[in-house]
Amino acid sequence: MSLTELIPDIKMLERADKLRLMQLLVVDLAQEEGIPLLSADTEYPIWTPLDAFAAGDTLLRMLQTHQGEP
Amino acid sequence: MTTPVRFDYADAPAGRAEGSRLAYLPIALSHGTHVLAVAGLLDTGSTVNVLPYPLGLQLGFVWEQQPTEVHLTGSLARLPTRGVIVSGQVASFSPVELVFAWTQETDVPIILGQVNFFMEFDVCFFRSQAAFEVNPKA
Repeated sequence: MSLTELIPDIKMLERADKLRLMQLLVVDLAQEEGIPLLSADTEYPIWTPLDAFAAGDTLLRMLQTHQGEP
Repeated sequence: MTTPVRFDYADAPAGRAEGSRLAYLPIALSHGTHVLAVAGLLDTGSTVNVLPYPLGLQLGFVWEQQPTEVHLTGSLARLPTRGVIVSGQVASFSPVELVFAWTQETDVPIILGQVNFFMEFDVCFFRSQAAFEVNPKA
């Protein structure tokens, strides 16, 4: 089946299905190119301990105690 | 007065975008007789330095012998963390004592953060040139 034959059927799709079709094609192309995409089913860890001020204070005290030892 | 040492951003893996290049700093960590040559991620948003579990073991630390508990944030908050102190040497600069949050997480890079890497070293980023310079604090 050629694209020319498909286009009339695609045009008849509901808006939501058109969006799903677009998404499907984008994911397929990205996978073929080896481009990683974010997936709704996957957890992406954020390793940076942002605003871990209590941890920072604890470690600084530990270092100061260590450096004060004879 | 020392002269800053310039480093290149780490090359992106093949097929990855330019934006995936990051500032990894070659650094030698030592504890007792154990020495490790590693690359630490310069992370200005991180409050603390982070040491992944396997590297702590390679440096000779024993988990049960580290009494200082540390509570991290983000994805690392779910696992226990202890404080450890190592000696860190960058390029030919004098070694400095670096305190790390030693996490039980294994799949995490070495993170060099505000406490206390950025308290010991001045770092200047030249992202448009994919390079950065490091110098010990004055």
